[in-house]
Amino acid sequence: MIEIKDVVKRYGAGESCVEVLKGVSFNIEDGRFAVILGASGSGKSTLLNVASGLDKPDGGSVIYDGENISLYDDKQLTQFRKNKVGFIFQQYYLLPHLSVEQNVKLGADLAKNEDYKSIITAVGLGDKLRKRPSSLSGGEQQRVAIARALAKKPQVLFLDEPTGALDEQTGRQALDYICGLQKELGFTMIMVTHNRNIAEMADIVVCMNSGRISEIYQNQTVKSAYEIGW
Amino acid sequence: MIVGVKDSLKLIGISAISFCAVLVCAMFLNYLIDVNLAADMAGAQAAALYKAQVLTAKVVVAVTGGCLGVAAMIMLFFYIKNYIDAHKNELGILKAMGYSNFRIALHFWSFGFGVFFGTALGFAISYAIMPEFYRAQTEGGALPELAIGFHAEVLAYTVIIPTVLFAVGAILYAAIKLSRPVIELIKDREKCSDKMCREKPDDKPFLVSLKRSVLSSKKTLVFFIMFASFCFSAMTQMSVSMDDYAGPMLMAMMMVIGLALAFLSMLIAVVSAVNGNAKTLAMLRVFGYSRTECCNAVLGGYRPFAYLGFAIGTAYQYGLLKIMVELVFKDFGVPELKFDYVVMLISLAAFILLYEGMIFVNVQRIKKISLKQIMAEN
Repeated sequence: MIEIKDVVKRYGAGESCVEVLKGVSFNIEDGRFAVILGASGSGKSTLLNVASGLDKPDGGSVIYDGENISLYDDKQLTQFRKNKVGFIFQQYYLLPHLSVEQNVKLGADLAKNEDYKSIITAVGLGDKLRKRPSSLSGGEQQRVAIARALAKKPQVLFLDEPTGALDEQTGRQALDYICGLQKELGFTMIMVTHNRNIAEMADIVVCMNSGRISEIYQNQTVKSAYEIGW
Repeated sequence: MIVGVKDSLKLIGISAISFCAVLVCAMFLNYLIDVNLAADMAGAQAAALYKAQVLTAKVVVAVTGGCLGVAAMIMLFFYIKNYIDAHKNELGILKAMGYSNFRIALHFWSFGFGVFFGTALGFAISYAIMPEFYRAQTEGGALPELAIGFHAEVLAYTVIIPTVLFAVGAILYAAIKLSRPVIELIKDREKCSDKMCREKPDDKPFLVSLKRSVLSSKKTLVFFIMFASFCFSAMTQMSVSMDDYAGPMLMAMMMVIGLALAFLSMLIAVVSAVNGNAKTLAMLRVFGYSRTECCNAVLGGYRPFAYLGFAIGTAYQYGLLKIMVELVFKDFGVPELKFDYVVMLISLAAFILLYEGMIFVNVQRIKKISLKQIMAEN
């Protein structure tokens, strides 16, 4: 269970201080898929950074299974990220000089996962183990990023606009694959997006506007990646 | 303007090295010309003493000018490469619009500003301290006092020619670095040689593969770190060892120049190593690798090369001085050169402190930058 309580985040100081998150609160139960929906500048990516332990809140708390990670020091946060969370970013952030296999091992070695090759095969890149990211298409690079995150066996997977740089067909494939794995493996998934259609795939939707939650709702029927609009 | 004066001002390291080189070379060249003129008019006994002084001046000008000139040129190429890597998108767009490599590279002439600034300042200061230097050379009364003459050729050799050479070197090197397909520059797509892409299974742990790939992908940086360590070792030890052969004034000058060169080149090398790997460090931290693991994997690989550079520098300075003593000064009764272990150990201790301290300080600096900033900057 993830509890976000009255989270406040500010950037800058003095007169230039901007409050990006203004007391955000919500809960996500284990194994659910939540989407944080909002326009550019609404504070959704900042919320993801704080909720995942990449950044510390200036106020409020982020609680995982009763443990308040906002009180963690840098060492504890590193350990937390190592053991609990995985990330998929819009820009992939693959290491350019390493092969597909080595990039996936970045995540796999942390979880001592020796079966990482089956994940690479599962994302359809079994024949491209030794290729470098620069020789892959955008969709293939995103699949490497997915394999890297999943090879880490995370309890919670954070995704920041994972389809933002992909075309419709590749985007649908990537979402379909991630959601299928989420249901199969049962990890919690929190995705940030500005695309309202993608929100129809989630169990819970948290709508952000100017640093506040404007609406939280649960979808009665969850759609697949091929049923939503784009 | 592609490369502004502001960019060339960042070449403070090259300016400092040029300053040091010209300070020493202008003084000795001027003295060399004046001594030669005096030697022509001197008697047989004084001529031998003049000959010794001319020899010393020639060796100092060759060693100082040569070493520092090469160091400055390497630094310039390193800076241009980093500049092109950091701005490859903009430069790629210019190429895509139809600008030729040479036309873009022409703007790199302004890198000569850094050299001009250093050499001009070095030349001016050398004339300011020349009376004191001349007095020190003729102290003891064995030689008559020399009048300081202004020689235009010294200005040409130490200021005008180096500035032109460095500006031309910058243009040619930039043109070479820009001669790659536009798409490689714009899309950050690297040329994949057969060696790089060979199908070879990799069963090594991730951090071991990473360490290897960091080194192989940044060979210029590996070379520069080795070179900086080499300079530190050679210049600090040589300045102390030269005491018996060149006098306290030259020793002090060599020491100051050596330390300035060593400090600047080490600083540039370490800052480049940390900055060049900031994105990789940030990504490892996001996934949960500890700071120690990150630093060992990404920055630890450079360490053996830094210490190898120090060892080569130690051997080089000893070898060079040995040759100087045995060949150049053999007729002047100078003491035999012995390897100074104490100086070597002190220099090594200072090197460890400087290198490890700089790595530590720069890693702390990176720590304060958020992942978001690092990703945006890269």
